[in-house]
Amino acid sequence: MARSNEVNLNECKMVVPLNTWVLISNFKLAYKLLRRPDGTFNRHLAEFLDRKVPANANPVDGVFSFDVLVDRGTSLLCRIYRPATAEEPQPNVAELEKPVTAEVVPVIIFFHGGSFAHSSANSAIYDTLCQRLVGLCKAVVVSVNYRRAPENRYPCAYDDGWTALKWVNSRPWLQSQKDSKVHIYLAGDSSGGNIAHHVALRAIDSGIDVLGNILLNPMFGGQERTESEQRLDGKYFVTLRDRDWYWRAYLPEGEDRDHHACNPFGPNGRSLEGIKFPKSLVVVAGFDLIQDWQLAYVDGLKKAGQEVKLLYMEQATIGFYLLPNNNHFHTVMDEISKFVGSDC
Amino acid sequence: MPLYDSASSSAGSCSGSSSSSKPPPPPLPLQQDIDGLLAVAGYKIRSSELQQVAQRIERLETAMGNSPADFSQLASDAILYNPSDLAAWVDSLLSEFVQPPTCSSEFIPGPVNNGSTTAESHTPPVQQNITYEQRTLDNQLTVVTATEEDSGIRLVHMLMTCAECVQRGDFSLASSLINDMQGLLARVNTVCGIGKVAGHFIDALSRRIFRGIGGGSVGGGGYAFESEILYHHFYEACPYLKFAHFTANQAILEAFDGHDCVHVVDFNLMHGLQWPALIQALALRPGGPPLLRLTGIGPPSPDGRDSLREIGLRLAEWARSVNVRFAFRGVAASRLEDVKPWMLQVNPKEAVAVNSIMQLHRLLGPDPVRNSPIETVLNWIKDLNPKILTVVEQEANHNQPSFLDRFTEALYYYSTMFDSLEACRVQPEKALAEIYIQKEIGNVVSCEGSARVERHEPLAKWRRRLSGAGFRPSPLGSNAFKQASMLLTLFSAEGYSVEESEGCLTLGWHSRPLIAASAWQAVAEAGSSAACVG
Repeated sequence: MARSNEVNLNECKMVVPLNTWVLISNFKLAYKLLRRPDGTFNRHLAEFLDRKVPANANPVDGVFSFDVLVDRGTSLLCRIYRPATAEEPQPNVAELEKPVTAEVVPVIIFFHGGSFAHSSANSAIYDTLCQRLVGLCKAVVVSVNYRRAPENRYPCAYDDGWTALKWVNSRPWLQSQKDSKVHIYLAGDSSGGNIAHHVALRAIDSGIDVLGNILLNPMFGGQERTESEQRLDGKYFVTLRDRDWYWRAYLPEGEDRDHHACNPFGPNGRSLEGIKFPKSLVVVAGFDLIQDWQLAYVDGLKKAGQEVKLLYMEQATIGFYLLPNNNHFHTVMDEISKFVGSDC
Repeated sequence: MPLYDSASSSAGSCSGSSSSSKPPPPPLPLQQDIDGLLAVAGYKIRSSELQQVAQRIERLETAMGNSPADFSQLASDAILYNPSDLAAWVDSLLSEFVQPPTCSSEFIPGPVNNGSTTAESHTPPVQQNITYEQRTLDNQLTVVTATEEDSGIRLVHMLMTCAECVQRGDFSLASSLINDMQGLLARVNTVCGIGKVAGHFIDALSRRIFRGIGGGSVGGGGYAFESEILYHHFYEACPYLKFAHFTANQAILEAFDGHDCVHVVDFNLMHGLQWPALIQALALRPGGPPLLRLTGIGPPSPDGRDSLREIGLRLAEWARSVNVRFAFRGVAASRLEDVKPWMLQVNPKEAVAVNSIMQLHRLLGPDPVRNSPIETVLNWIKDLNPKILTVVEQEANHNQPSFLDRFTEALYYYSTMFDSLEACRVQPEKALAEIYIQKEIGNVVSCEGSARVERHEPLAKWRRRLSGAGFRPSPLGSNAFKQASMLLTLFSAEGYSVEESEGCLTLGWHSRPLIAASAWQAVAEAGSSAACVG
């Protein structure tokens, strides 16, 4: 079947709004400039290109934020987002860590995407997404600025996630009034979804309760080339080649994609049967070439007897949740809100 | 004013090319057409342009897809500008990677000719975006904090309450709070975080309450000899001033390209720390160095010494050692607004760079009157027709009308700055660097009227002000960014970060920018351009 670049680009343009197409195509272009064939990454240029926004302790649209250096040793920064309340529309800046007052306050620990190499907690697109989650779920959101590949390979991102989880769990001011416990959810998109899974794994047997995992287009893979990977390669912003590059950049040198970080239900994965694992909401985009791996992940959870809800968004591409200009966006946001709200 | 020459020659012959910059197209009328969703993502593009930009991206993708070139290598070598201006950005990628430039091998997609190889020139949308920025710039308070102990939090509470009392005029409650805070301070960790900076804020509040807002020793007026020493230690102890100098020099160097007679006007010479590096860079430039004149403005020396002259002589010495023809002039003035352009003796044939490191905010003055000092000065800078105006300012909102707002902003700004200082190793310089910062705090908090000179404003405000005064941004590029980042690794500890913001660079501590550097050019009047005829 003839497959010229022209055709690909047109197809792709037809399934997303124009501004989304421009945004994601621009990322795709920029990212190509950053990945070097030898596996190194042009970090300076990446930081130059990344659009960042500062935190703002003055509420905007009912949400305020501030940054906390959670671990000085690793320079681990987290951005905390909180709702401004009706009683206190203008928080006192001395009281940014004022105790939450509601009976139940979900605390969502969010891991941004970027295939382990790109973006930061203060990237504009993720700052926006986190602010939305606050209003949507009446939650406090903690966005983790984890260390990135290739400079920091596995397991750095997971270590940072774990550090953040422990920090959140030990904040008295985040405890819900109902039971004086922190009601924690883990969430992330792309590599962030992968991190959420692995941090939840680490939490098992630790005594820290994770109430739920929200995985948006989570990044998983394996050695095998799946049908979706072959069918969709290069068609909707993403190529198999770039996926391979990012895994090579994150996984320990010499490891292949069946490493358990990449393929948690693969030959080297850990069985979750009989394990107390959080319920999961997994969102899969119909035009995401790695969907077979994401669907396999959902299957893996089911086979292990774990609670999981799959949201398969047929006409969605990667990044559909970045701009609120499509139906998938609103559907998914509703589901997330229900998922988090169901524990109240 | 005496003129100091390092060489015995006279003013020197000027041979060189004329700088012909195409006059930019007239600014488009203010349009509200910016795509709101992309703006929130950090990209400024007009909705009406989306289709066109999409087509260009497709062209780029197709060409890149078909090409065997290693784009990551091309990207490493290229100098790229202003990623927020999406349309211009895509154009520059097209011209960089797809249509190889037809100019000489020295081609750099310079900021003046941004995207000039494509058919249409593009007016940066900065001007159209004023309404969007307006919403975001007012009311911004960025806090980066480490986990505080309870006593630290209590201290912040009390500081805020005290500031509020001061704003209301309830000085008796304020002074009793001062007492309480001084007691609490003894039990708080003063090594880092709020504890460290709280003491200085308590002192400043105290001075405001008990001595009134005339200021006295932390007031505006002239600098003392001590100020220069403190400045020097601040320079050594942390990377902010090094970043300022380095970034400004980069822009100046690029602006001076092709010119044989150049003249730098430095708004605050201090010890002339910025200039040896520029002199060296000029010495090493291909084609040889220009004749460099430096006019350094500074306060009159209190004790009869001519410190400007001394610094000039040292710089001349340095220039001589690297074979750069150099001439220095010192202009002594207590206040920048006392300087008149004729004192600078700018020659119409020379390429001029005006360099302002943390000086423009001093011109803001207490009343937003007509022909305020800032307007006057910006006007005469413009009249000098400089090739470049480099501006570095504290990235803070310390000029808000409400005292409480200023106080709050300052508390977080300076505590972040102190945190960053803490991460730097260099020991002896740190103590005096802290005093330097302390004086700034004192001025922001305990002074008013003309005594309050530390009227820092954020980049977004400076952009509007400078655009309004007839300047347009000369974007700082990926090369400046990279080198600034590398400078940081060389000199400093973990935690500092350089960010790019619509052609400007900021240096900050983690996610909080603390200092912003930008470069500007006067929007040319029709028919004027400096010609240097040999």
